[in-house]
Amino acid sequence: MTASDRDREAKPSTGGSESADASRRGFLKGAATIGVGALSGVPTAAKALEFDIEDFFRKNFRELSDEELEAVLRRVEEKYSNRYGKQVTVSANGPMEGVVFGYGLDVSRCVGCRQCVYACVDENNQSRDPEIHWIRVLEFEREAVLRGINLEDGNPYYEPDQVPQEGKFYLPVACQHCEDSPCSQVCPTGATWQEPDGIVVIDYDWCIGCRYCMAACPYGARHFNWGEPNVPAEEINPNMHIIGNTPRPRGVVEKCTFCIQRTREGRYPACVEACPVGARKFGNLLDPESEIRYLMENKRTFVLKSELETKPKFFYFYGSSVTR
Amino acid sequence: MSSDQTGPEGPSPPSYQLATWVLLGTAVVLVVSLFGVRLEQRPETTRDYPVRAQVPDALAVLMPAPPMSDEYMPCSDCHAEEPANRTPRELEDDHDDKKLAHGDLWCLHCHSADQRDYLHLADDTLVPFENSWQLCTQCHAKKLRDWRAGVHGKRTGHWRGEKEYRTCVACHDPHSPAFKPIAPKPRPRRPEEIAGGSSAIGEHAHDGL
Repeated sequence: MTASDRDREAKPSTGGSESADASRRGFLKGAATIGVGALSGVPTAAKALEFDIEDFFRKNFRELSDEELEAVLRRVEEKYSNRYGKQVTVSANGPMEGVVFGYGLDVSRCVGCRQCVYACVDENNQSRDPEIHWIRVLEFEREAVLRGINLEDGNPYYEPDQVPQEGKFYLPVACQHCEDSPCSQVCPTGATWQEPDGIVVIDYDWCIGCRYCMAACPYGARHFNWGEPNVPAEEINPNMHIIGNTPRPRGVVEKCTFCIQRTREGRYPACVEACPVGARKFGNLLDPESEIRYLMENKRTFVLKSELETKPKFFYFYGSSVTR
Repeated sequence: MSSDQTGPEGPSPPSYQLATWVLLGTAVVLVVSLFGVRLEQRPETTRDYPVRAQVPDALAVLMPAPPMSDEYMPCSDCHAEEPANRTPRELEDDHDDKKLAHGDLWCLHCHSADQRDYLHLADDTLVPFENSWQLCTQCHAKKLRDWRAGVHGKRTGHWRGEKEYRTCVACHDPHSPAFKPIAPKPRPRRPEEIAGGSSAIGEHAHDGL
């Protein structure tokens, strides 16, 4: 019996009121605990696993009915509120009508300071140790870039006292949210797909950790949780989206979601807000008045590895004719 | 049809009159207050430069100009008495802490020699310090166009909804506008540095860039 089956069976007995809902959750929790207890024969171990078993058996995000989704959200909220000792809200805000997201990054301005990297880590609850960064800033020799950017030549480990360094060029790389995304095409379980607003998302409960997507991604944008992810409770961002920044379990792949929990509420992604030189731009590709459309129409833009025809929605551009 | 509209239940003439007077009164108060505020905001010597009306869109929230530094004191404190020396020159005794690195400009290209606590445009229109961006955009018109579109400079807030803008001096020191180098945040760990733990097998080695 899957969690969603149980939801459906429990449904008629609930009156829809808050207290009835709470008691239903209590019932489900009990049911799951008994289930695991019976399987393992160790009731104490079952206590720690009681919620995870429900996540393990639940339907794919795209197949959940509204009611089932609601139950999942409340369960996950409760799980993380308990784990981190603070009120966590988990939303499943859907794509907005007439919106396809696009991202612009001004390579003539980026100074390589990595403020975006750490703003992203904080916002999206990336594991601190083992360390996971969704954004990697690559440093290139300016001379070499004049002959064309070869991503393999980029150095993410630069650490001078100050940036930008003379003769260097910086290129932050994260998920390019490809229109024709190789990663989602190779996923054997349907755990990753492209949403109608262009965001390529991952259902962490459906990811089996095969890492085919990582092999398929030409941008190195996907990251695997080799170890148990670790985010200190005081640093957890409690504003979560179910297919966004909910804490990941070990053994799953994760990557940039354009800050789905923020952008589907109309806000800018965290990296845009963090950039000290204003090099990061974000908006609706379908809105002719948006800044992303302006830069595509008025600036020299390029995408990474255009020859692969992945059709990224992440556009690099030269905002200034005068480079450093 | 028309008899329905002018039926016996229609409002009587006195209440029409009352409503008219109330409306008229409100309008007069509104116009006076608006006009008053406008006069107050605009120093007599300063022309309303058209750029001011061209802040991007209805949802734009212009962030206030950053405050003057702690050491700031009105220029007129020292400069009011002596006549201005208008010859461009290297300053030797005073203001030697201000390194001027902004094209071929010197002080009086931007600062007014007649009204010491104001800046001035090329046509001598005075501009208060908090509107310095009107001055910048005389030369940097392309930047103004990009800024209005949200592509030059930093925007925060909402891509759909309220956007926060900053004027030039929020990011650029007008005396030396180029960005100063800053310390980068820590680099990511190398694969060999995470090897050994449970997170061992080098993530980056398989990133396949």
